[in-house]
Amino acid sequence: MRVLILGAGISGHTAALLLRRKLKKEHEVVVLTPNAKWNWIPSNIWVGIGDMSAKDVTFDLKPIYERAGIKFIQAKATEVFPEGFEEKKNFVRAESTEEATFSKVIDVEYDFLINATGPRLNFQATPGLGPEAHTHSVCTVGHAEETSEAFKQLIEEMKLGNQKTIVIGTGHGLCTCQGAAFEYLFNLEFELRQKGVRDKARIIYLSNESELGDFGVGGIALKTGGFVTPSKTFAESLFVERNVDWITGAHVKLVESDKIHYETLDGENHTLEYSFAMLLPPFGGVPLKIYDKHGAEISSELLNPAGFMKVDADYTTKSFEEWLPDDWPKTYQTKYKNLFAIGIAFAPPHQISKPKKNKHGTVIAPAPPRTGMPSAIMGRIVANSIVHMIKSNSLDAPYTASMAELGAACVASAGANAFKGSAVAMTMYPIVPNYKIYPETGRSLVHTTGEIGTAGHWIKKLLHFAFIYKAKALPFWWIIPE
Amino acid sequence: MSITEAKNYPASRPTKSTLYLRSCLPWQVFRFIIINLKMTVMILKSHGSKKEKKL
Repeated sequence: MRVLILGAGISGHTAALLLRRKLKKEHEVVVLTPNAKWNWIPSNIWVGIGDMSAKDVTFDLKPIYERAGIKFIQAKATEVFPEGFEEKKNFVRAESTEEATFSKVIDVEYDFLINATGPRLNFQATPGLGPEAHTHSVCTVGHAEETSEAFKQLIEEMKLGNQKTIVIGTGHGLCTCQGAAFEYLFNLEFELRQKGVRDKARIIYLSNESELGDFGVGGIALKTGGFVTPSKTFAESLFVERNVDWITGAHVKLVESDKIHYETLDGENHTLEYSFAMLLPPFGGVPLKIYDKHGAEISSELLNPAGFMKVDADYTTKSFEEWLPDDWPKTYQTKYKNLFAIGIAFAPPHQISKPKKNKHGTVIAPAPPRTGMPSAIMGRIVANSIVHMIKSNSLDAPYTASMAELGAACVASAGANAFKGSAVAMTMYPIVPNYKIYPETGRSLVHTTGEIGTAGHWIKKLLHFAFIYKAKALPFWWIIPE
Repeated sequence: MSITEAKNYPASRPTKSTLYLRSCLPWQVFRFIIINLKMTVMILKSHGSKKEKKL
């Protein structure tokens, strides 16, 4: 049997390593990904402020896969034929991204396929957004390196006495991963203090969240000091403490070289002048076309309009009040039982935060986050299911990991220094609120926790080294949990 | 919604002792242990064998 994995990010790489460990050598594990390097994306924010270099957060995949016994194909998947076509059984068509064979088209047959292609960074959604236009990004290590260079230049100008306006946040009303913007914001603010130029900067957080502390999960409630307190209160406290201004409920419409044009939930249009901006793009699915056995395109059956792959979720259109935890996928199996989609590649049934629309009809709604720990766990359970399916010659995926039953541990850095640095260490259970089990806040008040301090920074740093060690498949890597 | 200016916003602010504890070495070593324990519980709840149930 051959298991083909598209993508070697957190979910795909986790699945590949676990499959190779658990399957006999007679079965083949193949990873097809356009990138030659693996990237520990959560540390890109430290590259973006110049605290780490690209080599600290990346490594070459080829030698790791050679050692692990995984076949590595450096190529970009473009088409999937889940029913086979002509003489071939199920296969994926891809274009090589390797220098020697660049653009060469190859077909790779499979018995099981995992779509873990991650996000397409949709900078085109907002004119003027992105590193090729006017704003910076930390979404890839290349972007983060460019951002770091621009940030160094900015500091030099501030040292000469120039006042700057720095805008960090989301570049569209439908963005996700606000946590990354939050981390970059507070690391940048910390660095400016370390460099002695904090007084030269006005820092503004610009977000599509309807309020601070939402993070695309509708915020969390924490039991502390005899109160159940919303994350909004803690987030506002941190912003005030660090003197960071904020704009929430914002959809960025256009970015010029010195101005950001945005509309807000109250329907007003605004313009913000800036000197330096790091704005995250909305995510889409990686462009893939799906064909049936007759060669007819069936992409719309398997992909939602944003390009994410539909799995075993309930995609019925419902109002916010009708959303249920059971809507969320459990096995990540598509209508083809040997085809799975995990990590950012699967289509969520709906948002977690309540979607909002302004009087002009512009939807401003954070998309649900599904990076990091949940992505890795999806990789783990899908690998376990495939192992079971191969061993038992069955098409039932027995392992489940619904985001309505999973928790998440998140560490959001707020300054990188072993003694003066800090991070917000949070746990949340479950990720998707369940008001039947937890009627008060939707989540467990025992297992939903958060605090800020230097210990959080140590944990963030520990996770950096532990997960890179695990991803390199070094001895006993499997002991480190996802 | 226009810009909310942090300096004029009536948010709760940390006291001196709270700020001190956030970077106080012994206290943070203790919190490091506690946070790790909380995260371990979360990991066990989220991808322990109980969640990987066979049908």
